[in-house]
Amino acid sequence: MPTTILMSDFDLPTRSCSGFMLRYICPRVEPVQLFGMLVRRLPFQLTAPQSDIIIGVGHGEKDAFTGQSEAIILEVGKYSPREVKGKIIKLISCQCGVELCPDLVANGAACAMGYADDFVWICDADLASTPWSDKLAATSLMPVVDGLNALLDGKTAQEAFDIELEGYSRNAGVEEDELVKACLEFNHDNAVLLGNAGARVSPRPRITFPIPPPPIIAPIFQD
Amino acid sequence: MTKEFEELKEALRRAPTPSARKAAAEAMKRYLAAHPAKKSKPTLVSLGYKKTYPHAVPVDRIPDELERNSEFFDLMGRIVKEK
Repeated sequence: MPTTILMSDFDLPTRSCSGFMLRYICPRVEPVQLFGMLVRRLPFQLTAPQSDIIIGVGHGEKDAFTGQSEAIILEVGKYSPREVKGKIIKLISCQCGVELCPDLVANGAACAMGYADDFVWICDADLASTPWSDKLAATSLMPVVDGLNALLDGKTAQEAFDIELEGYSRNAGVEEDELVKACLEFNHDNAVLLGNAGARVSPRPRITFPIPPPPIIAPIFQD
Repeated sequence: MTKEFEELKEALRRAPTPSARKAAAEAMKRYLAAHPAKKSKPTLVSLGYKKTYPHAVPVDRIPDELERNSEFFDLMGRIVKEK
């Protein structure tokens, strides 16, 4: 089964988070990977129905998840149930856990994971061209990566969710910077898993590229 | 928890009036002075949509944003668990 992975890349937060997906998740999933300009509604509509798992990085709010340059990908009441039916969906985005994730489950998604408030972290802006090398961001983003890898190993949604939460707690326990620690605890407390916690996808081969991707040279939008 | 962070949390507990935002900005400045950044350009980022605050706020500019923007003030209050 293909994986639909949406990696928006147009500003610092999407670059930082999508960079970790490129480095740690993309090597082990089939090439239905929507990156940058491809993270739009039409490519998503074409790829999502064939997939058993949807992983999205993009800006969001309670009732919507967006892609490149905030193009709407999923919005409550404005998508076809066949795009989400039976799928495990992970949205790395703000507040989608409030209305959108429940709506996805109500429309047939096996389960949906998101966050009930903003998803926040601290990254090093000087590493925007090689975001995967940012150890500051890794503190907050590697728990997400670990949870996703657990899903792709064939673990249940609940097991993967617990791995993500444990990662936040473990990193918060050793973090000296109180602001970073507060962000970790904030994401931990706002992570939500809805739907069938026992859902799982067929395991993907565990492949790790020995060398990181080349630097991303595309410009990013500055607020 | 450091004294400076305690003071920041206390400042973020208040309603987002201009005086409260200014006090929080001052508290954040004191926290940053006591805990200078080890990384080259640490930036607080979020994946919000239709927000009044920027998606990326350099940590050394957080005081300015706290003073300017009540929605950001509220977000910071939630992050440090005071709201």
